Amino acid sequence: MNLRKIKNALIRITSTIVVVLITIPLLWIIFDVFIKGISVIGLEFLISLPAPIGEGGGIANAILGTLIINAMACAIGLPLGIATGIYLSEYSNDSTFSTFIRTIIYTLSGVPSIILGLFAFALIVIRIGHYTAIAAAFALSIIVIPIVAKATEEGMRAVSIEIREGAFALGLPKWIVVTKIILGVAKSSIITSSLLAFARISGETAPLLFTALFSYYWPRGINEPMASLQVLIYNYAMSGFEAWVIRAWGASLLLLLLVLFINILVRRISTR
Amino acid sequence: MYKLRVNGLSAWFQNKQVLFDIHLEFPEKKVIAIIGPSGCGKTTFLRCLNRMHELTPGARVEGKVILDGKDIYSEMDAMEVRRKIGMVFQKPNPFPHMSIYDNVVAGLKLMGIRDRKILDGIVERKLKEVGLWDEVCNDLKRSGAQLSGGQQQRLCIARALATEPEVLLMDEPTSSLDPASSARVEALIRVLKNNTTIVIVTHNIQQAARISDFTAFIYNGKLIEYGETKEIFESPKDPLTEKYITGRFG
Repeated sequence: MNLRKIKNALIRITSTIVVVLITIPLLWIIFDVFIKGISVIGLEFLISLPAPIGEGGGIANAILGTLIINAMACAIGLPLGIATGIYLSEYSNDSTFSTFIRTIIYTLSGVPSIILGLFAFALIVIRIGHYTAIAAAFALSIIVIPIVAKATEEGMRAVSIEIREGAFALGLPKWIVVTKIILGVAKSSIITSSLLAFARISGETAPLLFTALFSYYWPRGINEPMASLQVLIYNYAMSGFEAWVIRAWGASLLLLLLVLFINILVRRISTR
Repeated sequence: MYKLRVNGLSAWFQNKQVLFDIHLEFPEKKVIAIIGPSGCGKTTFLRCLNRMHELTPGARVEGKVILDGKDIYSEMDAMEVRRKIGMVFQKPNPFPHMSIYDNVVAGLKLMGIRDRKILDGIVERKLKEVGLWDEVCNDLKRSGAQLSGGQQQRLCIARALATEPEVLLMDEPTSSLDPASSARVEALIRVLKNNTTIVIVTHNIQQAARISDFTAFIYNGKLIEYGETKEIFESPKDPLTEKYITGRFG
């Protein structure tokens, strides 16, 4: 065996071992959450409110709360993110200003989410005097914006000059070329990034602790404290009560399944 | 009598001049071939005829292009010009996110024409005109990007024709196609000239001889010779033209 073959085998074996090693904890987490969470998941768990300790109860308000907060965060973040992406790709002319904006936006995606939570807390919660789901949606929308803006910009930039010229040659004005042709071609990368952003904010807990906090009741309005799966897991897991800890595992499993489902969906859309 | 008259046309990319004071007249419902070696400016010339040249950053044009008595640069807006002077590109470029149906009527639908009956009629008529109807009439909902290269190019021709342009510009429309598909497009051009003035850029001299009524030879951004195709090919007046069409350079 010559040296080249030895090197080849070495690299192949090392990388295989590393892949196996990092897959183990990943599968372990999924397996563990599944085993501990599955026993508690049932109809009552999914459709009823939390009950006092020892009396069963469910997490329906937290499921609904997470969906409402996420929906609000997307309602704010998606249009702003997409509009930003359109600007950066089609109208910025690569000026110094646009480089500045791009740097700001992509730095935003690196800001720890707890800081976004504190920001929303200072800006909204302190000012209006109580915890509110609106502040939560605001904090999470700041996570959504850079993800979607980046994907929109890259997706639109990838549309070839041939397609663009084909559209202009039909006598279409620029705004139609941008919104109906270029945005249309880039649609699937925008949809997948939106789904991934949704999955990402479904797991964010720190911003919610400062903003929506928690509630043991059904959401009463968007300007109220609101339950969420993330904060429920945090509260219940730390409670020390067996019945709550096991419900925290159940809620974790639900979140995991949601994220898994979204990722499978994304994979199907992007390979279509 | 003349559909399009080019008057003192010069064009630049940044500071580099690529077309020099071109004067030409295109008679109505004829096929005019623009020939010349690679990089001579023939594509740029074509793109000046429907104001596509100005889309390139740093590009500039001087001179007049007169369509039916109106200068397309000073008396019409670019969108109007491009609807009246359609274009087919070197590489087929159907909109990949649209069905075959929507590709054909893209120019109409996106400009607000929604009447299903009108659109249905145009799709059928234009696809028949380009000889694609029989091949695709059962799956008009399929993506235009799934067609073969030759079918895609005919789809793009149908798309350009759907807005009823008076002039059709074709930039080497067969250069990316196989011989059979090329022959179909050439046959189509002969039919289209019954209604449309066609300006076609080609690097294929035989193709120019086969399908055009008039030929313009451009070299280094200058118009060297222009006249009836028969004359250009049988008795070129300029020695450069003769050299080029006999294949001694280019």
